Amino acid sequence: MAIHTNLYLLVFLPLVLIIYQLAPKKARWGVLLAASYALYISFSKYLVLLLMATSAFTWGIGLWLDKIGAECKEKQAECTDRKQKSEVKKEFQKKRVLALRVGVLVLLGILFYVNYLNFVIDNMNILLGKLGTQLPLVKVMFPMGISFYTLEAVGYIADVYWERYPAEKHLGKLALFLSFFPQIMEGPIARYPDTSDALFAGEPLNMANLNEGFLRIIWGLFKKMVVSDRLSYLTTHLFGNYKDYHGSFIILAAIAYTIQLYLEFSGSIDIVIGSGKMFGVTLPENFNQPFSAQSAAEFWRRWHMSLGNWFKNYVFYPITVSPMVKNWNKTARKKYGKYWAMVGTSAMALFPVWVATGIWHGAGWKYLFYGMYYFVILLFGVAMEPIKEKNYAKMGLDPNVWWLKTLRILKTWVIIFTGELFFNAVNLKAGFHMFFSIFGNFHISSIWKYWPDAITTGDVWAICVGSVIVWIVGFLKEHGVDVRGKILNARTPYKWSVYYLIIFAILLFGAYGTGYQPVDLIYAGF
Amino acid sequence: MEELLEILQDIDDSVDYENETALIDDHILDSFGIITLISEIEEHFDIEVDAAEMTPENFNSAAAMWKMIQRLQEN
Repeated sequence: MAIHTNLYLLVFLPLVLIIYQLAPKKARWGVLLAASYALYISFSKYLVLLLMATSAFTWGIGLWLDKIGAECKEKQAECTDRKQKSEVKKEFQKKRVLALRVGVLVLLGILFYVNYLNFVIDNMNILLGKLGTQLPLVKVMFPMGISFYTLEAVGYIADVYWERYPAEKHLGKLALFLSFFPQIMEGPIARYPDTSDALFAGEPLNMANLNEGFLRIIWGLFKKMVVSDRLSYLTTHLFGNYKDYHGSFIILAAIAYTIQLYLEFSGSIDIVIGSGKMFGVTLPENFNQPFSAQSAAEFWRRWHMSLGNWFKNYVFYPITVSPMVKNWNKTARKKYGKYWAMVGTSAMALFPVWVATGIWHGAGWKYLFYGMYYFVILLFGVAMEPIKEKNYAKMGLDPNVWWLKTLRILKTWVIIFTGELFFNAVNLKAGFHMFFSIFGNFHISSIWKYWPDAITTGDVWAICVGSVIVWIVGFLKEHGVDVRGKILNARTPYKWSVYYLIIFAILLFGAYGTGYQPVDLIYAGF
Repeated sequence: MEELLEILQDIDDSVDYENETALIDDHILDSFGIITLISEIEEHFDIEVDAAEMTPENFNSAAAMWKMIQRLQEN
């Protein structure tokens, strides 16, 4: 029961809303937890036990960390001087580090077993094949959402370790945070304080939240069903038969897939955030007009923001301030100067972030390449920043003049499209084949000549008009005009006119029914 | 505080650090600016900034940074 299906939207969600409202305030969190496990069972059946065990384990580690902290404070209270206090702190710090390591290693170990073990065995077998021996592959069931809830659990344990907030005493409350049904499939990856209070408060439903949630859900469906699902036929065909196409078709494939992925993922997140809003839960945003970005670094601050923030908070910053990197930085500043120390430190912190971001999307060389692609581009951006500023000053150019901004946006688009070409290629070899075939036989006219028959003129119109509408709404938001807010604040007849307009657009132009296959959620597979 | 403002001005002199309160939330100070900032404040104020301190609340304004620096100097 995926979140874009009729079963979820017309039966499951309304039913949970009704039961939630009818339940006593104190029991409402229980309704949400039961609904979350019910939805999870519909996908992953008995693997719900793994989700429950992960929740209990994370809860236990949190309590263990808190207990060590409390014992440390008790012992410190008995100390008479500062030196003694510091020694006690050191002694207990070892225990806290142990608890953190156990927590993180077990959680990441399960993720590794499910997602990466067979990839490692596959690659080892290539080497072992030369010695005439092979390792058997492991039969693994995929627990839905494991890549999302594992990161939330690791983030929770790290935050409790850093004493950013106390451990949650109530197992049910933590279990609900990790399994809340709208976000279990595709995120967004939340931090515990983002949602925990609202999830547990059991506030009654209200019209403002229901309206906001409803508008967000139908807007998400519009993006996914009218544009993205239609593009899916084109991209599946082009990427699946990549050897038959070259030149302009490959560029078209890269652009079409990027638009498809954006509208599919951001559309699904709209449904997720809208569903959460109906219960009064504000989930973190995942997108902020990513195609307005003027650099690759800015793109990643606007695209899949919750994943980027997670890596920044739990990988990038801890590495940046780790003793090893700090020592290197100090030495490098004296030896090579501030500039090279900064570039070197950035490289040390960015490399693990982008290895992890790449393989988080899946076990495959193409995903690792995708991560390394952005690592190189971002590091180059860091190294060029001071030089760029000097050049602008030397040429007497204002870096904020409109044509320079446009050029930077277009440059960023090329970077994004190229990245997504490799991301969606059948494998890394196919990605390189597609990339290099752009430069052979490049004729725009071949697009019309070899256009796949399955994509009709109607499809092209729906895709273009739908994309333009989404772009206008995004453009206005970027310039401070909140279209959704204006609709919600409009008088009832106007508001409902917009609702009907979107619903009719989905019903009339959505890619469903005869001739269309339902399109699965892309990020639910990660 | 003057010393901290000088460090911040060196990183980006186009920002009004005395009044800005969303340096991190509004991405005025990016992750790479933070790398330089940490090195500078550790050197100038003889403190150790560890991972637990890396929160937006500690870096959103010059005043918040100054508060963190003073707290770390006391420890």
